Amino acid sequence: MAVDLNDPQFVKSLIDKERRANRPAGRWVLLPIALATIAYLTPFYYLFVTIFKTTPEYARKGVLELPDSPAPFLDNVAQAWTIAHLGQAGLNSFTYGLCGAGLAVAFAAAAAYGMTRLNLLGANGWFMFIFTGTLFPFQMYLVPLLFGYQRLGIINTWLGMVLLYTAICIPFPLLVLRNSFSAITREIDEAARIEGASEWRVFVSMILPNAKGPLVALFLLQFTFIWNDLLFSSVLANGLEVRSVMVALQSLQGTYSTLGPNVVITATLISSVPTVLLFILLRKYFMAGLQLGTK
Amino acid sequence: MADTATSLLSSALLKDARARERRVAWRQTRVAWLFIAPAVILVGVFLLLPVLVNVVLSFTKWQKFTGLDKFAGFSNYARLFAVPYFSEAMANTALWVVGAVVLPLALALALALLLRNIAFQETLKSLYFLPKVLAPTAVGAIWYYVYAPHGVLNSVVSGVSGHGFDFGWLYDDNTVTPSVIVTFVWQTVGITMVLLLLGLAAIPKDPIEAARVDGASPGQVFRHIVWPLLLPTVLVVTILNVAAGFTTFDLLWVMAGDYPGKRTLSLAVYMYYESFSNGGWAYGSAVAVVLGIMVIAVSAVLAFVQSRVEKSIR
Repeated sequence: MAVDLNDPQFVKSLIDKERRANRPAGRWVLLPIALATIAYLTPFYYLFVTIFKTTPEYARKGVLELPDSPAPFLDNVAQAWTIAHLGQAGLNSFTYGLCGAGLAVAFAAAAAYGMTRLNLLGANGWFMFIFTGTLFPFQMYLVPLLFGYQRLGIINTWLGMVLLYTAICIPFPLLVLRNSFSAITREIDEAARIEGASEWRVFVSMILPNAKGPLVALFLLQFTFIWNDLLFSSVLANGLEVRSVMVALQSLQGTYSTLGPNVVITATLISSVPTVLLFILLRKYFMAGLQLGTK
Repeated sequence: MADTATSLLSSALLKDARARERRVAWRQTRVAWLFIAPAVILVGVFLLLPVLVNVVLSFTKWQKFTGLDKFAGFSNYARLFAVPYFSEAMANTALWVVGAVVLPLALALALALLLRNIAFQETLKSLYFLPKVLAPTAVGAIWYYVYAPHGVLNSVVSGVSGHGFDFGWLYDDNTVTPSVIVTFVWQTVGITMVLLLLGLAAIPKDPIEAARVDGASPGQVFRHIVWPLLLPTVLVVTILNVAAGFTTFDLLWVMAGDYPGKRTLSLAVYMYYESFSNGGWAYGSAVAVVLGIMVIAVSAVLAFVQSRVEKSIR
C-alpha cells in the first residue's frame, strides 16, 4: 500500500487512531469503579454508623441508618475497654510487637551481615536453614510449642510470646536484608576495616545506616503481623494478664457474647487504631515493604 | 647449602604466614558465627524443632490429661480417613484454595486495568489497600455483622428486592464457606491490585504501541503482550494466595464460630478444633502434617513453574 501523506483522509484516520490510543479513560470506566468502590466501602460505612449507636438503638433501626447522635460513642468505648480489658491487652500486644519485630529485624540484620560480609563457611547452607522456617504452615508449630512451653514453664508468659514472635519474624527480613546488604558497595567497609574498625563497628556504623529504608519497612510489616496475630496468642497465651489484643477482641464476639454489636464494633475500631495509624503515617515505607515481598 | 637454608627459611616463613592466614580466617569465621548465632538458634529451636516434634507427636496417643508414653503407629492417620469431618474439611480447603487464588486475581486485574488511567489513582489505591492493614480478627468481627440475620447484606437485599430478608449466611451449610471467601477477597483484592499495578507499570510501552499501530485489538494486545509480561507478577500473587487459601484460620474462626459444623470449614480449622477444643493433641498434629505436606507440594510445583516462566522471559 502506498502511503500518501498529502491525502487528508489518510492523515485524518492516522490522527484519529493516535487519539483513540491515547485518550484518557472515558466516563464508562468511572461507573464500574464508582459502583465497586461503594460496595467495597459499605463495611466501613457500617462501622462508622454503628460506633455511634446504643444497643437498643441498633436493634430498633436498620443497620445502615444514621445514628441519633454521636454521644453513645464514648460509652461504647468505655464498655469495650473495660469488658475486654483492652488496656492490658493493648500493652501486651504492643510489647510483643515492639520486642518481637525489633529483635527479629536486628537478628536478621546481624545474620545477613555475617552471610554477606564475613568469610562464613557454608553461608548458603545457613541461609537455607533459616529460610526453611518459612516453608511450613503455622499449624505445624502449634501443638509442639504448646508441649514445649508447658515443659519449660513459659506458657502464658511475655517471654514465651516474645521468643516465638522473634523467631517467626526472622526468615523474611533475612531474605530481604541479604539482598540489600549485597547491594551496598564493599569499598566502604573495606576502608573501615583497614582503619582498624571491628566487625561490630562496621556493621553498626557503616552497613545499618545504608539500609535504613528496608529496615524500617521490615519492622513495620513484622510489627503489624504480630499485632494482628490471633492463632499463636490464643494457643500459647490466653491468660487475662498476657493475652493479645486480638484474643481480647475475639472474646467479645460470637453468640455467647451478650454485648451489642455496637460495643463489639467499637472494640474492633480501637484494636485497629495502631496499625491503621502506622499505615497512614508511614504509607511510603509500607508500600516499599510490599515491593520487597515480591522481589 | 645456602640454597637449602634459604628454602628452609622461606618454607618456614611460608608456613608461618599460612598459619597466620588460617588464624585470621578462623577468627573471622568465629565472628561470623556470633553474627548468625541468634537467628540460627531461634529459628532452629522455635520453628524447625517444632516441625520435627510435630511429626513425632502425630504417631503418639497424646491427649489432654494423658501421658505421652503410648506410641500409636499410624492410627491417627487411619482415623483421618475414617471420619467424615476430615474429607469435608479437605473439600472446603480445596474450595478455599481455588477461591482465594482465582477471585482476587480476576477482580484485581479488572480493577487494575480500569484504574490505570484515571485521576485519584493514588487515593483509590490506598483505600483499596486499607483492609489488608486490618487484622483478620477485626475484619471477621465486622463481617460477622454484615452476614448476620439483622445485618448489612440482608438489609441491602431487602431494600433492593422490596421483601423482608433475614437469612443467616454464616449458619447455612451451602453459604458459610462462600461467604467467608468473599470476606477474604474483600481483604485481599487491594494488595493484589497494587502488586498487579506495579507489574503493569513495568511493562514497556513500545511493543504495545507497535501492536496498536499494526491494528491489534485491545483484546489481542492484552493476550499476546500484556499477559505474558504480567505472568511473573501473577505467579507471585498466586503463590501468596495459595498459601493463604490453605491456612486461613482467623477469619473462619471469628466469623463462623457459631456454625454448628465449624470443624469441617477447612483443614486449618479442623486441626485447631481437634487439638485445642477437643484436646486431641496427637490427632491434631497428624492433621497438621497432612496440611504441611499439601502446602509444601503445591508450593514446590508453583516455584518450579515460576522458575520456568522467569527463564523463558529472560
